[in-house]
Amino acid sequence: MKTILIADDSESIRELVEFTLKRAGYNVLKSEDGEQAIQHLTGQTIDLVITDLNMPRVDGIALIREIRKNKDYSSVPVLLLTTESQVSKKDEAREAGATGWIVKPFVQEKLLAVVQKVIR
Amino acid sequence: MENLQALFIEEAEELIVKLESALLNFERDLGNRGSIEEIFRAMHTLKGSASMFGFDSLSNLTHDLETVYDAIRDNRREATAQILEVTLRTTDHIKEILKDQNLGDTTNRETHEALLKDIKALNEYSHDSVRELKSGPVEIKTYYVSFCPANDIFKSGSNPLFLVDDLVALGEALVIPYFKPELFSTNICEDQCYTSFEVILAGTVSEMEIREVFLFVEGNAEVIIHFLAKGNLLKEPAFTKALAGDQSLRKMSFGFDSVKAIAENVRAVPMASSALTQSLNRMETATSIRVSSEKLDELMNLVSELVTSQARLALLAEQQGIADLNVVSENIEKITRRLRDNAFSICLVQVETVVTRFQRLIRDLSKELNKDVVFVAEGTETELDKSLIEKITDPILHILRNCIDHGIESPEERVAKGKSPQGKIHFKAFHSGATVHLEISDDGRGIDAARIKAKAVSKGLILEDTILTEKDIMDLVFTAGFSTAEKITDVSGRGVGMDVVKRNIDAIHGDVDLQSEKNKGTTFTIRLPMTLSIMDGMLVKIASSDYIIPLTAVDKCYEIDTRTLTSEISQRVVLDGSLVPVFNLRQAFAEEPSQSPITQIVKLNYNDFPVGVTVDTVVGEYQAVMKPLGDLYQTQEEFSGATILGDGSVALVVDINKFIRQLMNNNETKN
Repeated sequence: MKTILIADDSESIRELVEFTLKRAGYNVLKSEDGEQAIQHLTGQTIDLVITDLNMPRVDGIALIREIRKNKDYSSVPVLLLTTESQVSKKDEAREAGATGWIVKPFVQEKLLAVVQKVIR
Repeated sequence: MENLQALFIEEAEELIVKLESALLNFERDLGNRGSIEEIFRAMHTLKGSASMFGFDSLSNLTHDLETVYDAIRDNRREATAQILEVTLRTTDHIKEILKDQNLGDTTNRETHEALLKDIKALNEYSHDSVRELKSGPVEIKTYYVSFCPANDIFKSGSNPLFLVDDLVALGEALVIPYFKPELFSTNICEDQCYTSFEVILAGTVSEMEIREVFLFVEGNAEVIIHFLAKGNLLKEPAFTKALAGDQSLRKMSFGFDSVKAIAENVRAVPMASSALTQSLNRMETATSIRVSSEKLDELMNLVSELVTSQARLALLAEQQGIADLNVVSENIEKITRRLRDNAFSICLVQVETVVTRFQRLIRDLSKELNKDVVFVAEGTETELDKSLIEKITDPILHILRNCIDHGIESPEERVAKGKSPQGKIHFKAFHSGATVHLEISDDGRGIDAARIKAKAVSKGLILEDTILTEKDIMDLVFTAGFSTAEKITDVSGRGVGMDVVKRNIDAIHGDVDLQSEKNKGTTFTIRLPMTLSIMDGMLVKIASSDYIIPLTAVDKCYEIDTRTLTSEISQRVVLDGSLVPVFNLRQAFAEEPSQSPITQIVKLNYNDFPVGVTVDTVVGEYQAVMKPLGDLYQTQEEFSGATILGDGSVALVVDINKFIRQLMNNNETKN
């Protein structure tokens, strides 16, 4: 079973993403910010990270940079959750090493479609 | 041919559901281009396949209607209430024709004639709209796609192979990889990508859709997409041979120009359109197939048998103590579980398939009763076992009838009450654990508790001085022999009351209750198990008997000192720092008190409240294949069925909600 780590400070988004992914048969880990996400990444295999852009302490872009720096998990795919108004951030995120993005609000099918684009 | 006809009927029924739903959407919002397209498409497909399968009567009907909708689609005429009316009547009639294709029934024949005339009248209305249909089959095109990932593409977490897979999934494809020269140098680096791809893709996709595949790797890869030719070039053996005939490692790309040159050389005769549609159909069939429900039932039965046999195997393996056998048995258990889940998911159907029927009922009824009602459906993607959906539709239709007839007031009455003249019925479906909740609420006059009680007293259902809670009073509605409508209307006074609704829902191990507030509205909540045949349970032992508790109801297990238990059936025990009511099941089942020093408490979730039950031992997780208890036990509700354990003995499956409710009631009457 593939393990997906979700980092978002909004509980409702975390729950929604978890619900959707679990139902599709993924194992889901949750973290409230980038710092927690890094802790999760250390010492276990994560197949995909889905992160929000704005989070307290370590934000999405910083998290991606952090991930790409560490040899242990530098090649894990990272999807960024953005809103329509943050589209300009996409380039910055790509520069940092994001694999792709999901624009909020999203429907569950869309989320799954994007996830299946990057892990199988 | 008969088999094919059955298949067509099945397909046609699905199309009619789609058509109806689109029609109703269109009626609500006449400017909706999406619905009009859908109506047209459904009509077109119906007509086409009807004539292919010998349903000429159906094909005649749809032919002229299709012309009407074609005109609406092209803005050559306006959609009118009359057109919608005739179309809806036609869809009803089509349902009849599907059962009686030769119009043997006189009523059917008369309706048919009348409809043909009405439809003709619609067309005469706009002579200029008679025109040949122009939409042919969708065209297949062949594209050249070059995908050259940057060397460090892995660093962004992307996998180029997934993108190639996505591309291939768009149609028929020929993938030609080639390797960058760096691969052949001495210092290659394992985290670099040295492969590029040229893909010849044939399908009905647009260039935009192809570009979409590479959305995430823009900037991380060089992507070139060119239109190559009309039709499917991959059907030309000479073309594919020229490109893929050589199996050796390629060190460079062909490039668009040379591929195009090869294409022009081999292309002499354009493809016939029949071949086009054929290959189109082939691509479609790959995504889903149709299976008869008997075959599915058979599959489910076999899976159930397998689960039971596997339980025996697991027990044997454990008793024999052979390590290797245990490994095999555990493996089979895992596979069985997956097979079971898979088989289940095949039998699940989205609630959406019946929502159209609800919508239609509401539309027709509110017209008939001169009420203005809007229907909102939410969570229609929620899935439920096919057999359950069939059994739950009628009860819901009955509830809806009640909502419109008794619940929603007339527009005048609503305005007088300061409400919007338009009433609203809200249908909501969602999962909660392994149960599916279906909620139907209206914003009508609500149920007057005092009136219900008075009625129940006058009907002799309860005594005048009976003290009842609000909920108890509401539950009276579901009692046999109860109907509050002061004058029986044609609509809900059809001889069936809410007690039938409850009985039907009970029969599928579901639960229904209602909440109501005067002048605010009424909400019916139906809770159903997602499936009836197999479930994950927890096997527990009480005295010498085995019981299965549905795993979804189990919260946590505790061990306590048996001496702390009193001889009462119900008592409070501190679990995790809070007082929880605990039922002593040995007492409840009139067994001797336990001799073991330790008793286990299983904390359950009863309507969101924690409740504990005592058991002797918690054996573990168990996949229970549900068997009915037989006619003698029809009247009890506490046990929803039984299951056969690995050693051949029987365990009863507890229906937690009803079981706890019963325990509470018994306890109250005793005090």
